[in-house]
Amino acid sequence: MLNALLYLRLTSFRNWLLSRVRRLRQPKYLIGAIVGTAYLYFFFIRGFTPHPQQAATTRPMAELQDVLPAAVPADWLPAVAAFGAIALLIVATLMWVVPFERAALGFTEAEIAFLFPAPVTRRSLVHFRLLSSQLRSLAGAGVMVLFSQRWTFLGGNALTHAVGWWFVFSTLSLHFTGANFTLTRLADLGVGGWRRRGLVLGGVAAIVAATWLRLSAASRTLLPGNDANFSTLTNPAIDLTTTAPLSWLLWPLRQVLGPFFAIDARAFWLALSPALAVVTLHYLWVVRSAVAFEDSSVEAAQKRRDRLDAWHAGGRRRSGPAQGRAAPFALGAGGRPELAFLWKNLLSTWPYFTPRVWLGCAGGIILGAVWLRTQPDLRALAVGAGGIALMFAGYTAVVGPQFARQDIRSDLANTDILKTYPLAGWQIILGELLAPAAILTGVLWLTLLAAAVLVGSDPVGPAWLTAPLRIAGAVGLAILAPALALIQLIVPNAAALLFPSWFQATRTRGGGPEVIGQRMIFFFAQMLTMVLALLPAAGLAALLIFILQWLIGPVTAVAVGTAAALVILVGEFTVAVWWLGGRFEKLDLTAELRS
Amino acid sequence: MIEVHGLTKRYGDFTAVRDLSLRVGSGEVLGLVGPNGAGKTTTLRCLAGIIPASAGTIHLAGHDLTATPVAAKRALAFFPDEPRLFEYLTVRQHLNFVARIYGVRNHETIAQPLLEEFEIADKADQLPGELSRGMKQKLAIACGLLHGPQVLFFDEPLTGLDPLGIRRMKNSILQRARAGATIVLSSHLLHLLEEVCTHVLILKKGEKIADGTIPEVAARFSQGEPTVNLEEVFLRATGGTEG
Repeated sequence: MLNALLYLRLTSFRNWLLSRVRRLRQPKYLIGAIVGTAYLYFFFIRGFTPHPQQAATTRPMAELQDVLPAAVPADWLPAVAAFGAIALLIVATLMWVVPFERAALGFTEAEIAFLFPAPVTRRSLVHFRLLSSQLRSLAGAGVMVLFSQRWTFLGGNALTHAVGWWFVFSTLSLHFTGANFTLTRLADLGVGGWRRRGLVLGGVAAIVAATWLRLSAASRTLLPGNDANFSTLTNPAIDLTTTAPLSWLLWPLRQVLGPFFAIDARAFWLALSPALAVVTLHYLWVVRSAVAFEDSSVEAAQKRRDRLDAWHAGGRRRSGPAQGRAAPFALGAGGRPELAFLWKNLLSTWPYFTPRVWLGCAGGIILGAVWLRTQPDLRALAVGAGGIALMFAGYTAVVGPQFARQDIRSDLANTDILKTYPLAGWQIILGELLAPAAILTGVLWLTLLAAAVLVGSDPVGPAWLTAPLRIAGAVGLAILAPALALIQLIVPNAAALLFPSWFQATRTRGGGPEVIGQRMIFFFAQMLTMVLALLPAAGLAALLIFILQWLIGPVTAVAVGTAAALVILVGEFTVAVWWLGGRFEKLDLTAELRS
Repeated sequence: MIEVHGLTKRYGDFTAVRDLSLRVGSGEVLGLVGPNGAGKTTTLRCLAGIIPASAGTIHLAGHDLTATPVAAKRALAFFPDEPRLFEYLTVRQHLNFVARIYGVRNHETIAQPLLEEFEIADKADQLPGELSRGMKQKLAIACGLLHGPQVLFFDEPLTGLDPLGIRRMKNSILQRARAGATIVLSSHLLHLLEEVCTHVLILKKGEKIADGTIPEVAARFSQGEPTVNLEEVFLRATGGTEG
């Protein structure tokens, strides 16, 4: 039976791989693959080839016999191993504390449909899931090697690190399943959630406390000193993890980490057996403790599918059953139909985007700023917070459209219905853009408000940045914010309309290099478009402010510059919406996805 | 009234619908039938203005769909086989939204009877996710009927409905036809077409094989038999093969 399940897993993987390779016949995927592969090579793979400086001491991936002694600085290794063991202990503890549902195995809906009614024992199903999780652990180990290969202090090579990561992931995966099974059994025996959490946390805390008390006074000193190696911080951690009774609790975890931290070939081979023993014991624990998992697995699969559907549709992720809620504003039957899209799309997002919440936030920012400005000791903090607010405004303007996506991207599946509406294409596009633009504008206004009221608290700021000029600048940017948000939203929406199959592809999980490449292409296109769109507006505004400040004063010059920039941005947006509307009217999603 | 001349839809080298002409008058119900892949859904999508035709002209309620799409769309309603609803709008909010899009001023007075007709009045404050597939279908139809369309396109309208729902849907279609609406529906359920359609059009590989009233089309393929049902006509007309 396991052969059949192994066949299913391997065949599915092979077909997944083949479909990815076949897709490269389409230029868009090929280009994406080239860009993605180049990115992976230059940022990760290239690191495997020896650096000129490392060439003398480091060799490329080789046989285990070629495992190298640890490089720099070797004295970090015990501390890193100690922190690694503590991290594993925290993760393992959480596995006993967090779960509040019955044990479920991560079967897909298709697997449930085919395997649950099949003449397969429960143990075989557990084996199937373990096999799948092993494949995932292997893949995870491969990915982590790409990241950890730059940790030169570890010594070892890519192969030992891969094996080390596999031990870590496999143990955690098995421990998670075993803990779930055991917790379900405990629940059936009447050991409820909070009692169990109290026991686990209390037990771990007692062990740590007992160990702490056994440490010497010197080891309990955690204040960082001036030493370059942070030894005053790392030595207590090492002492803590090597002192009983915590050391007993950490012993199996240290064995799991052994192959990863092996500094040479001998240490690696010596570390293999204990690590393997821990994994084997975990496996036996899981197989022997298996409980009825079918019902909860079906429920978990359904939840996963719902989450995936919501993600595909661009909607918000639901943690519970959806409920209708009050509309953001009253929508009358008369008036601009575009506002109906704003109304609809605001309903599809978080309920916090209401004028009341925005005003509350603005009030909070002002009160906070006023209080901060009355505290001379916190003046630097106020200026720093203002700077951070300004940076967040820039981040919102650039990256915000990727998060606020209650627009045509979320409605692509409803294109057929939208196209039957008696509206011109540009009206639908404009309507769809209004909700994310309103959200982004709200965030921009709040951050600008915070920046304006906080940055001005710096008494030693530039002399030319007077209060009136600061206010004029903030108001000018606030006026430009809606236009800026709308312009920024044009790019991802245009991408969805012009390349719906690309757009669909980038929304596919588990993508290969081609999907990474496509995302990068979209991101750079967004950056380029932003620069091209902003350049004329910013250039004209800067020119006008520079010239007019001598004639009409800097504040009025800023106002004139803002007006000029606004005209340009609105003009660009109008042209873009009109053009995109035409594209929308011609869009045939069936034909696009067929190609 | 629907008037179509030379409708052609191509996808690259593939022609999904070829040189299709048809005319459906007020109060008439045209059944679009054909094997899988015959081009029924493509035809309906072209007629509803969802996808542009590669060639040909389409007039709906006197409006040229290409030249005056907004006016033409104001007169039509399209009901896809899979109800397309907005995940976060309740039943009532769906009707509210559609009323604004179509500018239906007194929509409350129209919406309530529609909700009652389709037996979803008690679900007015529920989201689509809480509705069964049949109820979603009913909501989609209620939304489509809110603005009193003169031309209605149904793509497999009975999918997902229970027996009572099927009967109500048939009655609803006939009632709208009697009120003067022009209706085109596509379905594989030939007994449905026999019950509600006045006319039938058989498509195969994107081309019209036959059209006319049901008796006319039956007579053409009866081979002298006195009574031939639509299923037999369909099999003879299409040769019992796909596409």
